[in-house]
Amino acid sequence: MQIVYRVIIAFILLLTIRCAYREKDFWKQATAALVVIPLVLRLLLIK
Amino acid sequence: MDSHRVSGNAATATLLFALSLLVCWLAARDFMKMWRDDVLVPLPEYRRIMLSDYLPKLAGTPVDTPVFIQDSGRPGAAVMVLGGTHPNEPSSFLSAVVLLENARVEAGRLIVVPFAMHAGFRHNFPQEASPSFLHFTLPDGSERVFRYGSRDMQHILMWPGPDIYKHKPSGQELSGNENKNLNRSYPGDPNGTLAEQLGFAIMELIRRENVDLAFDLHEASPEYPVIDAIVAHERSMELAAAVAMELKGMDIEIRLEPSPKNLRGLSHREWGDGTDTLPILMETANPSQGRLRGRTDEALALTGKDKAYAKARDMGNLFIPYSNGDQPVALRVARHLTAIRLFLEMLGLFHEGKDIVVEGIPHYEDMIAKGVGYYLKPLPID
Amino acid sequence: MTLDWFWPEGFYASMMILAFALGAFALKLPIAVAMSGGAVLGAILAGEGIPVRHLVEGMFGYIDTILIIATAMIFMKTVQAIGLMESIAAWGIRRFRNYPVLLSIGVTLLIMFPGMLTGSSTACCLTTGALVAPVLMHLGVPRVKTGALIAIAALLGMIAPPINIPVMIIGGGIDMPYVGFAVPLLAATMPLAVFAALLLAWPSLRRREGQNDEALEKELARMSSVPLTWRLCTPFAVLVVLMAGEQFMPQYFPFLGMPLQFLIASASAVFTGRRWNVLASATEAIDDALPVLGILMGVGMFIQVMTLNGVRGFVVISALSIPEWALYLSIAVSIPAFGAISSFGAASVLGVPFMFALLAKDQIITATALALIASLGDLVPPTALAGIFAGQVVGEKNYFKILKVCVVPAVAIALWGIAFIAYAGPLASWLRWV
Repeated sequence: MQIVYRVIIAFILLLTIRCAYREKDFWKQATAALVVIPLVLRLLLIK
Repeated sequence: MDSHRVSGNAATATLLFALSLLVCWLAARDFMKMWRDDVLVPLPEYRRIMLSDYLPKLAGTPVDTPVFIQDSGRPGAAVMVLGGTHPNEPSSFLSAVVLLENARVEAGRLIVVPFAMHAGFRHNFPQEASPSFLHFTLPDGSERVFRYGSRDMQHILMWPGPDIYKHKPSGQELSGNENKNLNRSYPGDPNGTLAEQLGFAIMELIRRENVDLAFDLHEASPEYPVIDAIVAHERSMELAAAVAMELKGMDIEIRLEPSPKNLRGLSHREWGDGTDTLPILMETANPSQGRLRGRTDEALALTGKDKAYAKARDMGNLFIPYSNGDQPVALRVARHLTAIRLFLEMLGLFHEGKDIVVEGIPHYEDMIAKGVGYYLKPLPID
Repeated sequence: MTLDWFWPEGFYASMMILAFALGAFALKLPIAVAMSGGAVLGAILAGEGIPVRHLVEGMFGYIDTILIIATAMIFMKTVQAIGLMESIAAWGIRRFRNYPVLLSIGVTLLIMFPGMLTGSSTACCLTTGALVAPVLMHLGVPRVKTGALIAIAALLGMIAPPINIPVMIIGGGIDMPYVGFAVPLLAATMPLAVFAALLLAWPSLRRREGQNDEALEKELARMSSVPLTWRLCTPFAVLVVLMAGEQFMPQYFPFLGMPLQFLIASASAVFTGRRWNVLASATEAIDDALPVLGILMGVGMFIQVMTLNGVRGFVVISALSIPEWALYLSIAVSIPAFGAISSFGAASVLGVPFMFALLAKDQIITATALALIASLGDLVPPTALAGIFAGQVVGEKNYFKILKVCVVPAVAIALWGIAFIAYAGPLASWLRWV
């Protein structure tokens, strides 16, 4: 089940990155950059 | 929600994500520092095995933990001291470490498990702002370091988790995160979750080593009613009552609580129901895990000095005296060790042929006066 | 309050809130960024520098919550994309158009629905709220009242079962399982939903003033362009089966967890309704969810730093030191006020200590009531998530106009919550008996 959830995290991570690249507002991009941090660390099973 | 207009583009997004990755790297470095085990300096009389000797599938997992056995070679009782069930309760594992580095067994056997929830020492609980490490200075000026972990097993080892944790075999329901709590996992299940396997392995240790008396050492928040307390199973109540009276005679205030029959998964209940041992759980007061605490840092974990708790005391919200506005870790370790010493001395009085003689356990006043560092051994040079 | 007690934690608290307010109000930064700024300042003032480990660790308090919100939002966007949501709404409005009482209550429940599933008021505003907003206005409900109904229903949706994040946060703090809350949460929300419906929508619907039948008919026809069939309802059916199965027949259903359940239910939509672009609708979902996900990250950092520098203890002890007679008043005022930062944050930082102060009461009822009161935080500026998003979907630029109409139902919510706490004992035994 953990591998499934890592795939879900990766999916949401990619969507978040996609949103940021389509976003025209710097501060909204910054919000996405914030959300990315725990997603990356959980994807790599560090935290 | 109109943001302040600063326009963004692919370049700014790339820059921001580079920054995110930098933050990830910095944080990961700190998180992974906690994955290294603390170094122990046990007396040579101890034999070191692993908990996985009692459940081989744990071998190689972060849950596997060292078990130290000191056999005097002379007949007597077998006693187990389990520290670190909750790695955010330092007097628990520090008491076990002091026994490991000081106690000589003259009759009977002593089993010490300093880091029962080994995988809980590998992380801190989110939003608790716990210190990651505790430092102690030794008489020779050198330093020993121990990790201050989390009540639960490292989350990534049991992720994703259920919303509701159902205890086996009772079916009792608890909030989902309790599935990572060793002291809700007993009697455990060799084919269950990692926490259940751990619980089972500890039960197996007690059964196979014929442990006569078993301690599970804890700490609790000063605002929690079961504190500075001994919790005893029905079978260990008589012995515990005698020890509690002796402690009161020494002016050490202690509560004596019967193990509730309907609260399942806890050591004092399941060890007693599932093995022949006499289970004893003990609690000291640790302000650094409490909900009313102020500034949270290593100093708080070591001294227990806190103005928020001092105010809570004035408001009548605490279940410990806290008259000096502190609760040093040496006092908490001294309480545990003194109670353990009395239990060992009195065990044979209540259970014939179950004598155990252990020398070198620091005395109450000595521990308070000299501190924990005094009783730790310098690290071997290499 | 003595200076001894205030210094330095009270100062840190003031500066953290000031930095946040400055970022959110004056600089108009996103809440998430403003909260992060407040957190970083709090750490620097306390001599901790920029404690990256603490800031990131704080975020992890909500890692599971953001997965649930993100996937739930994907599910909502999916059922919208296949035409299911509009089709159900059109059916309901046609069916009950001549029964204004039922219609206003039905619409309110419909708005609440996504929040019941996701625990997020934002989900209500942006999905079903957006859906019914034009219909209500065509039916003659004024713009600000429509916005207010959406905002209030969004709060109630966030509190109504099965998913209630504030209760989970409070329960986590006092070792109380999230079990046995369904009935109390329904009792806490449904009467208020009826009240809000009758207060905000019913008068206009009954009088049929300003109704634009032609425009309405056109809107309804557009909404029901995908006919409502059982097959169209597949995603909902799959979701209900998975959730109910795991809850009631765990021996037959594997443990999946809500995020996976939402994604499986979304995937089942491939077989029905209008064809839709999976990637586009999933991206849109995350885009809508990002402000909330970001806020949760900001709250996580904020709480971790408050714990680190002692502000948390300062706030908790100050709240507990309030004399007993003023306790109810302080609950009703301080929890929503803290919601200016975040209603989830209020549940954690204040909900838990108030739970401790009220331990003698029935815990399930008390936690229910505290969560209900915490929901009001989503109406308190500057965050005022429900007000802001409701304003967005009805096209009202000045969301304070909407908040003004929300005052009466908001006071009703606070009083209802306080009444729950005051009569927790009898209420608990009565609800068990029911």
